[in-house]
Amino acid sequence: MALQTKIAQILFGVIDELNELRPTHEHLKKDLETPLSGDSGRLDSAGLINLIVVTEQKLAAELGRPIVLTDDRTLSQVDQVFHTLGTLADYIHLRLNEDNDE
Amino acid sequence: MEIKTFTVADLKAALELEDFWLAQTLPITKHRALSYSRNPRAEENDPVLLVAYQEKRVIGYLGILPDNIFVNDNIYKLGWLTSWWVDPSYATAGVGAILLFTALNEYNQYVGVSGSSREARKALDASQKFMALKPLQGLDIRLRLKITRIILRKFPAMRIFRGIFKIIEALLDEIVNLRSFFWQRKTNRSQQLSFEYIATIDEETDRFIKRYNQLDLTRKEKSDLSWIMNNPWVLSAPLKDSASKKYYFSSRADRFLYLGVKVFQHQNEMIGFFLLKVRDDRMGVVYSYFESRHAASVTAAIFHHALIMDVATLSLFDGQLISGISELGCPCWSVKRRSRGFSLSKAFADVPLSNYRLHGGDGDLAFY
Repeated sequence: MALQTKIAQILFGVIDELNELRPTHEHLKKDLETPLSGDSGRLDSAGLINLIVVTEQKLAAELGRPIVLTDDRTLSQVDQVFHTLGTLADYIHLRLNEDNDE
Repeated sequence: MEIKTFTVADLKAALELEDFWLAQTLPITKHRALSYSRNPRAEENDPVLLVAYQEKRVIGYLGILPDNIFVNDNIYKLGWLTSWWVDPSYATAGVGAILLFTALNEYNQYVGVSGSSREARKALDASQKFMALKPLQGLDIRLRLKITRIILRKFPAMRIFRGIFKIIEALLDEIVNLRSFFWQRKTNRSQQLSFEYIATIDEETDRFIKRYNQLDLTRKEKSDLSWIMNNPWVLSAPLKDSASKKYYFSSRADRFLYLGVKVFQHQNEMIGFFLLKVRDDRMGVVYSYFESRHAASVTAAIFHHALIMDVATLSLFDGQLISGISELGCPCWSVKRRSRGFSLSKAFADVPLSNYRLHGGDGDLAFY
């Protein structure tokens, strides 16, 4: 399975976990276009924090490689990284590739 | 969005910058900034304020109070999170998350939280980075009913009956005074005591405190307590000033003061010291030091001060003082249990924290 597809599946698993804590009418769609933060975002501070933490945990568990999403580099571009599920997937992909190159 | 980290040195510089204080939303008040900059446990390069800007406009901020925790022979530096605010119109912009994670990064994940709003608690829990300490159990002791204020707050239209309420309140106060008079005669404890009031910690008090603070988690000393007493975050003022209208957290009260009280018996034997905080009609004991055998006398002294200073509620968060209240049978209208939660980040997970004493003023609680 291509890495990009694997990352998307992991993120859909994260969405499943987040939705368990949200009322039905606030459920997030398992779609790479789903907005996360920003003007059309659906996550408040606690929601975004939860997303970040659960994503880190699932990436470590399913890829066996820890990715830190709370470092200064990520925090300095939260608007772009967490704009949609797709932008987050792209960012994780980028970070994993960088780690491979090192 | 841009996050600016203000260190102690930056904040000192900001105090001199006129533009900083002209902002539509203030991330801090001047007296709070002064207090942060004088914190004896803060280094010049310690981050103490994180501000989120969107096109130069303040859209969120988080204060950090550098402190030390003492466990066995080890000292751990940490930052207590305080005054965490996000502009509601940016609620989904990730501002709160950036502020929290930046604070954790700035303090190498060594962070604490004392008390918190429901929203903040939700965000902190979501981060899975904090562990709760055993909460401080306390009491709110209702000494005076202050019914006029309570009724008018709930039913402003009843203002026309204000005079009648005041008369009833005066009668109820007389009942309190009578009960207190007989209580003081019966216990006779506070009459055998003498007091010395201090606005800053003196050498005698410093020596006394050191005898009783060895198991305190934050082990406050002369410089720390003097700093708290002389650098309040809330000022006594009759009206809201322009700064308090631009700052989300409270910065003024009708009455706000700290009072250090040294307690003596037999004229010159010091048996206790407590630091009182009075905010409007509420008195709290933020720090107290005494030997167990003098707990009842120190409790009587505190209670005596609460009566004399005409507060409606006395809050206590020390187990021995709480026992003293029941032992002495202090007269009051009602007693309500309260608790204060403290959390530390999981970086402290391996530190043995169970046998340490917390005070009612630890974290940032001495300041509110």
